[in-house]
Amino acid sequence: MLLPPTDSKIVARRAEIVDALRAIVPDGVVADESGLATFDADALSAYHQTPLVCVLPSTREQVSDILKFAHSQGVPIVPRGAGTSLSGGALPREDGILIGMGRMKRILEIDYENACVVVEPGVTNLNITKAVEANGFYYAPDPSSQIACTIGGNVAENSGGLHCLKYGLTTNNLLGVTIVLPGGEVVTLGGKSGAQGGLDLLGLVTGSEGLLGVVVEVVVKILRKAPVTRTLMASFDTVSAAGACVAAVIADGVVPAAMEFMDGRAAEAIESYNQPGYPKGAEAILIIDADGVEADVAHAISRVTDIVAQCGGKTVEATDEKQRTRIWSGRKAAFAAMGKLAPDMICMDGTIPRHALPYVLDEMAKLSDKYQLGFCNVFHAGDGNLHPLIIFDIMKPGEFERAEKFGADILRLCVRVGGVLSGEHGVGVEKRDLMTDMFTTVELEQQGRVKCAFDSKGLFNPGKVFPTLSACVEQGHIHVHGAQLPQPHLPRY
Amino acid sequence: MEKASNESQVADFVRAARQAKSSFEIVSGGTRRAVGRPMGNLPLLDVSGLSGIVKYEPEELIVTARPATPLAEIAGVLAEKNQRLGFDPADWSQLLGSNGVATLGGAASADASGSGRLRHGGARDSLLAFSAVNGLGENFRGGAKVVKNVTGFDLPKLVCGAYGTLCVLTEMTFRVYPKPQFTATLCLSDVTPETGFAALRKIAHSALEPAGLAYLPASMMPDVGQGAALIKLEGAAKPLEEKLAMLHGLLGSVAGRIDSDPFGAIGSGRQFADLPGDVWRVMIAPSDAPRIAKELYVRHWLGDWAGGLIWLAAPPSDAARIRGIAASAKGQAMLLRGSAESRAAYGLYAPQLKPLADLGRAVKAAFDPLSLFNPGRLA
Repeated sequence: MLLPPTDSKIVARRAEIVDALRAIVPDGVVADESGLATFDADALSAYHQTPLVCVLPSTREQVSDILKFAHSQGVPIVPRGAGTSLSGGALPREDGILIGMGRMKRILEIDYENACVVVEPGVTNLNITKAVEANGFYYAPDPSSQIACTIGGNVAENSGGLHCLKYGLTTNNLLGVTIVLPGGEVVTLGGKSGAQGGLDLLGLVTGSEGLLGVVVEVVVKILRKAPVTRTLMASFDTVSAAGACVAAVIADGVVPAAMEFMDGRAAEAIESYNQPGYPKGAEAILIIDADGVEADVAHAISRVTDIVAQCGGKTVEATDEKQRTRIWSGRKAAFAAMGKLAPDMICMDGTIPRHALPYVLDEMAKLSDKYQLGFCNVFHAGDGNLHPLIIFDIMKPGEFERAEKFGADILRLCVRVGGVLSGEHGVGVEKRDLMTDMFTTVELEQQGRVKCAFDSKGLFNPGKVFPTLSACVEQGHIHVHGAQLPQPHLPRY
Repeated sequence: MEKASNESQVADFVRAARQAKSSFEIVSGGTRRAVGRPMGNLPLLDVSGLSGIVKYEPEELIVTARPATPLAEIAGVLAEKNQRLGFDPADWSQLLGSNGVATLGGAASADASGSGRLRHGGARDSLLAFSAVNGLGENFRGGAKVVKNVTGFDLPKLVCGAYGTLCVLTEMTFRVYPKPQFTATLCLSDVTPETGFAALRKIAHSALEPAGLAYLPASMMPDVGQGAALIKLEGAAKPLEEKLAMLHGLLGSVAGRIDSDPFGAIGSGRQFADLPGDVWRVMIAPSDAPRIAKELYVRHWLGDWAGGLIWLAAPPSDAARIRGIAASAKGQAMLLRGSAESRAAYGLYAPQLKPLADLGRAVKAAFDPLSLFNPGRLA
């Protein structure tokens, strides 16, 4: 991976930059080697880089002063939330200031009258729900890393989760954000009314991967918890029957709260890992959640049960909350379970049109033969978001390189069938050089000009999302060694 | 007036305009031309030929259509598969005194949503992908034709509500939603704005997933005492029954079923069509609705989106006062219908503060550096 070359003149001025930051945030500058080591990567741990310096502001005024300083001195900025990005969005730079937002973690206001919460960016996703659940509310987007990832990072990445088919991504659950622009100006986009009075810059900033500014305040919508949730497992003898079933459920007008697919190999690995009770011997399994008022859920469950039967599958319903939790905990541990199959793995994140699923699965099997590497699939089937896991052994010469090529080919395949490089993990550094497979030069230039409208000096997160001119062979992946995912305690996907 | 009926004709036209540094107005159905700051007598680019459904994939929950496709056509095609657009596109033609045909591209460009915005959000929440020509005369795409995508900047959000100031749209892909089998509209009569809006917010924040929540004062609806809270629920037969029972439990009083569906008229602003004066849409935090309604102190008004949107008619001399009230509540007062003088003086929205206004201009310039498209309309 080529990142823009380090500016040695900036590195030479390190002591002066550290002093200037200390003047802004006296108790929040990390400049010693061991302190900086904790910030040298996010969850895409194949890439490491010690930052020039890390600064941890506590107020938006400090953020603004830091950015004004960096802007005037031409020093790159890399924003960071909890560092759970799977695409290297928070990978530091040797010549850049890493600005960690973890100290700004106050919940500023809970407004039940308007069903919204005003928070600082360092509040974790799950803590928003925890703050309101006693009153029967929750925050809908639920990325699997929600116990650790922050709302500021969720805004930057437009995070998804298991329930986006019905409840949308982060962007559909925001009313407003306040950001500090690269020049230090503070602007508020939207608010409790959700209205912006001009271009929808809130929508543009959401998912911009730290390229346009630093989020310092967020207004999120909260929803009333559904009174009833029921969970079905459906098992199939063939992958294509399961794929057809997904399409038939959607076409029937049922919108499940979640609809997850896993192939037989994934299900088997999960079953031996934490025994969630998945049906034995199936080639494909679907896990389906329906939520809402009781009759709505009953209607959905009965429709889905009929459709599964028509597609040649068998259904089992979770009988109580304990079993529901077990079924889902198996799904959320898919990644860790896969670690049992081989010492290393990489995980991809493309979205495809659902109808292309059988074709894509066939093609992936051919690629698996070509590269002589095993793989399995977990899949947010409702919205077409595919997470193939490629398994290999880094100790065997050539396997890592083959795995990377296999991964890149899978993402190209997703694009070829009309899909995209990333459904929820972001482009970051990992898929940056595949952007040319999805977008034309004109399209990349158009997006580049939008970036320039915010960041004329190109100081914000350089080297992320958009390919440099000197492209090198790249891949989209998360690298895991010895079944150790970076931050192994976090559920994933 | 020139006509462009395909992408390459649009690109040719834009390149010629760019050469001549000649700005123009983009028109298709023409129903919303009277919205926004007047642009003077500019040449017109008629894109009404860019019409028709390109591909409808009900099982993928997406429909791709050209922007001049009439709203009625697309609604009809989706209804055949028991689906609908998510953003409840609003046809303002009657309010604006137009005989034109409201189109998909016009509704999305104007961020025109009716009461159903409560359920699945606005156009920005449904537009997945588009093709367009930018101000350099280049064809480009934004987003992708899948329901979940975070690859690159989310440009579809930007074109919704941009009033054609960024690019000339040539194709759009929307997410679609299942159409409910049944709907029920209920009316809670003789309630004050305070009581009515409080009831609506309670329903908005319940698990009932309402499709319409509006308050109409007596001046806007006959025989409802002080005013009426109107509620629209959706579902298959049994779920709907359950929701109705839950609703009555929630309100602690019985809201009567009514046969008509007033939400079509509310969303399209038809109730204001025959009233004199300027017509405003004021977007605020829903809990501010009773207070703002009182402060506005106009005879003709109503509150949609559980109070998050106040419609009103007022004499042109009230413009500054209305803007001031909206600003005091951190809301936005949009001048939807006004004389050319009102619109020239007050614009579509209040002027933004400096850093934000500069940013908006820079983003516009990133698409359209010479300001060829609908210049000044959104300013």
